[in-house]
Amino acid sequence: MAGQIRKLLDTIVEKRSKGNPTIALTTKTKLIFKGFDPDNFNAGSPDDPAAIQKIKAIAVDLGVSL
Amino acid sequence: MPIRTAYSANALPEVVWELAAKAGDCNPRVILFFASSKYDPAEVSHAMQAAFPEACVAGCTTAGEIAGGKMSCESIAAMFLDDEIVGHRASAVVEGLSSQVSVRAAFSKMEQGLGAPVSSLDIEKYVGIVLADGLSGSEEALMEKIGDCTDLLFVGGSAGDDLKFAKTHVMLNGQAFTNAAVLLLLETKNGFDIVKTQSFRTTGKTLLATKVDEPHRLVEEFDHQPALAAYAQALGVLPAEVPSHFMKHPLGLMIEKDPYVRSPQRVQGEGIVFYCQIKQGMKLEVLEGTDIVAHTRNAIEARKATGKPISGIIDFQCILRALQLREEGHCDQYGAIFAGIPTVGFSTYGEAYLGHINQTSTMLVFR
Repeated sequence: MAGQIRKLLDTIVEKRSKGNPTIALTTKTKLIFKGFDPDNFNAGSPDDPAAIQKIKAIAVDLGVSL
Repeated sequence: MPIRTAYSANALPEVVWELAAKAGDCNPRVILFFASSKYDPAEVSHAMQAAFPEACVAGCTTAGEIAGGKMSCESIAAMFLDDEIVGHRASAVVEGLSSQVSVRAAFSKMEQGLGAPVSSLDIEKYVGIVLADGLSGSEEALMEKIGDCTDLLFVGGSAGDDLKFAKTHVMLNGQAFTNAAVLLLLETKNGFDIVKTQSFRTTGKTLLATKVDEPHRLVEEFDHQPALAAYAQALGVLPAEVPSHFMKHPLGLMIEKDPYVRSPQRVQGEGIVFYCQIKQGMKLEVLEGTDIVAHTRNAIEARKATGKPISGIIDFQCILRALQLREEGHCDQYGAIFAGIPTVGFSTYGEAYLGHINQTSTMLVFR
C-alpha cells in the first residue's frame, strides 16, 4: 500500500484550517516543524507504519480526528 | 496617542523612574520591557510593576537592547501600549520548561482573563507574545504545544544574559522566573503584522539529517556521513575550518521558499550541535550570509509600501545578528532603519514564530 501519509497530512491541514488559507499555511508549517513536510510525500510514498503512527499522534495533539 | 518607547542605562531604582518619566502621560494597558542581565530580575520586575500598577507588565533579560533607533547594552528598553493600541489582554506563566512543557493551564488562565475561549478569538486581531528562558533548551516543545492549542500567531524571543550563558529570566506582573516562559495575548485595536527577515541566500546545496539526537540539538549525520564531514564537504572547506563558517553558513528549513534558519553552535565529536532542533529526515539548504542592514531595510520598506500604518515595532533580533552588526560596525545603520517608528526590542537567544528559529529579526508590527 502507498500514499497514506500524504493523505493523512492533507486531511490534517484541511480539517484544522476549515478552508482558511492563512491557517492552512501555518498548519503546514507546524507539520514541517514536527518533521513531516507534506510536499515530501505523494501517492506513491510507501505506508511506513511508524510514520503513520506519529502522524496520528500529531493529529490528536492538533485536535483533528482522522 | 502614538506608542511610546523609552530606554535608560541608569541603575535601579532610577532606571525605572526615568522610564516612567519618559512614558509621560501615557496610560499603558501593557508594558513590554527588555532588561540587561546587569539588573536583578526580581527587583526590576517588582519596580516596573510598582511604577505601573494598573498595567500588565512583562519582560525578560537580554543580550542587548534596541530602542530609540539604537542598539544598546546594559540598559532597559520599554514599550508602552495604551488603549488605542491594545484592547483585551491576558497573560500567564508556563513554569518547569525543562521537565515537561504543558501550556494548557496557561491557556486556561488566559481564557479566564479574557472571558472567552481562545478558539473564539479573531486571528486577525489577537496576537500572542512569547518570552522564554533562553537556556532551557525547550523552546521547540513550547512552540509546538502553543501551536497545537491555537491558530493564533505567537511571536517572541528567548531571553538572554549578556552572553554569560548562566541564567536567563522572564518577568511578569512584578515577579521573575527562570526555566519558564511568559505568554501574552493581546487584542490589537488596529491589527498587526509579523515580519520575519533573515539575511541569507540559498547556495543550492542541501543536507539531509539522517541521524540526530533531538533533545540535545545534535546532528550526528547528514546524508549518512558524519555531520561535520558532510557540512565541511558542502562548504568545500576542511573539517577543522568549519566553526569559522558557522555564522555565515547556517542551514535553512525551507517552507514556501522562506528559510527557517537553524544555526550551528559547535562541533561535538563528529557531529554538530545547533541552536535549535533539527529532526531526523529534515532536508536543509546550506545558506550563505548577505547584508543584514540592506535586507532588514528592504523588509521594512516593503512593509511600509503596503500602505498600512505602522504604530510601532517590537524587534526580536538574534544575538548572532547583533554580534555580526557589532563586528562590522553597522549597529547605527541598523538602528537608523527604524527611524521615526517607535521601536523596541532585544538581542535574543532565539526567536519564536511558529517554531523556534535562529538568526532572524522577527518583528511584531502594530498597525
